Amino acid sequence: MPGQVITITSGKGGVGKTTATANIGVALARRGQRVACLDADIGLRNLDVVMGLENRIVYDLVDVVEGRARLRQALIKDKRLSELHLLPAAQTRLKSAVNEEQMKKLCDDLKKEFDFVLVDSPAGIESGFKNSIAPADQVIVIVTPEVSSVRDADRVVGLVEAYEKPTPKLIINRLRPTMVKRGEMLDTADVLEILAIDLIGIVPEDERIITSTNKGQPVALEDHSEAGAAFQRIAQRLMGVEVPFQVFEEAPGLLDRFARFLRG
Amino acid sequence: MNPELVSFKGTREGLTITLGEGEWRELMNELAAQLSRPQAQTFFRGARVLLETGNRAIDVLQLEELIAQLSQSGMTLSSVLGEQRTMEAFAQVRATIRAPAPLVPAQPAAPLAAPEIPVDGAQAMLLHRTVRSGQRYHYAGTIVVIGDVNPGAEVVADGDVVVWGKLRGVVHAGASGNDNAMVGALILAPTQLRIGRYIARAPDDRGQRHAPAEIARVRDGQIVVEPWYG
Repeated sequence: MPGQVITITSGKGGVGKTTATANIGVALARRGQRVACLDADIGLRNLDVVMGLENRIVYDLVDVVEGRARLRQALIKDKRLSELHLLPAAQTRLKSAVNEEQMKKLCDDLKKEFDFVLVDSPAGIESGFKNSIAPADQVIVIVTPEVSSVRDADRVVGLVEAYEKPTPKLIINRLRPTMVKRGEMLDTADVLEILAIDLIGIVPEDERIITSTNKGQPVALEDHSEAGAAFQRIAQRLMGVEVPFQVFEEAPGLLDRFARFLRG
Repeated sequence: MNPELVSFKGTREGLTITLGEGEWRELMNELAAQLSRPQAQTFFRGARVLLETGNRAIDVLQLEELIAQLSQSGMTLSSVLGEQRTMEAFAQVRATIRAPAPLVPAQPAAPLAAPEIPVDGAQAMLLHRTVRSGQRYHYAGTIVVIGDVNPGAEVVADGDVVVWGKLRGVVHAGASGNDNAMVGALILAPTQLRIGRYIARAPDDRGQRHAPAEIARVRDGQIVVEPWYG
């Protein structure tokens, strides 16, 4: 059975597309799935850094498309998980170096070998975005609970529909439960009310993400990080397992606990 | 040349192009071939085109390709006759071809000769979906949306606009200059609301109003919003 191509996109930059791609890839591979992560952000490659594989790049996506390297040669095997692979973007080229047909062909080839092909889309809605959407069997839109991010996600959902792709699934990233509680941040219901698409995961804000991306050590490798656990659940849902959605509550502070103690 | 694929017919209103059966790519190649004939170059220049698409569903990207092809030969696509989805795609693309009538801020204006507007039984477009940010629909009649109109979306109709859902984008009813047009919605909270040549915007201190269905129309030179009683 051929695998499926899942494109991860957002419209707005900086909402966590690359981090999500790396972590979902790790989580799927930990469950024994054969995974290829593909960095479609040609000219601004990052996925290799987040996955900690930068120093292993010899060939890249553009080399494969232009026939300088075979797919097998360009694919980098992850240093921790044997089922996880990366096809890096070219850093010295521009988005125009590949077109939609070439991306489709590339993903068709990858689908024969892998259960999941995760495409990390660049920000924006120009050619790089279109190249990432063209081969997709399924699209995941990432949004942070901010009005500007939701607006861009809405635009992207419309564009994906115009491409006659299935309605995208949604990840709400960097949710801060205490801010939601104080009414200072959009909550899940606010976001879903506008976008009106199915949720596939909620990832809470987690400081560990920053250190882990800097170290090239995705949080989904460990079990005790909240964000890592959220990506594990997303991977399970992608594999067709029904996992209930978590209600996030920040751990009670010392004062809270003291107050509760006094109240008995 | 294969008239089975693409046929041309001159009428009093302009030129009618009918698309036949076949692959889209084939049709486009045929159209390009027909338009590149030397006599066609002078003959078609400046023509307004009515496109007949039959049962084929044509999407936005395909329409854009066709419009680009026509404009290379100096032709403009003025209307489309075909399947519902094709018509919707055209309403979306059309916005890029023709801008709506110029606007003035809300102030009493000299009465216009009543333009011919669609009334009961006239043409309406039904959009059964969420109209999302960046999408723009422009239709010569009334537009009815079953679903939400999100912020960043635009719905422009020469007739009325009715939204069975939340209206939060930009809406323009009576866009060809009809001040008698109205806008109605279950939740009427547009970023900006235009009727004919009048324009109103949401108050800056946007409180969470949850009034029942409301209707906006022009009264005494300004846009007035009131509850919608049957």
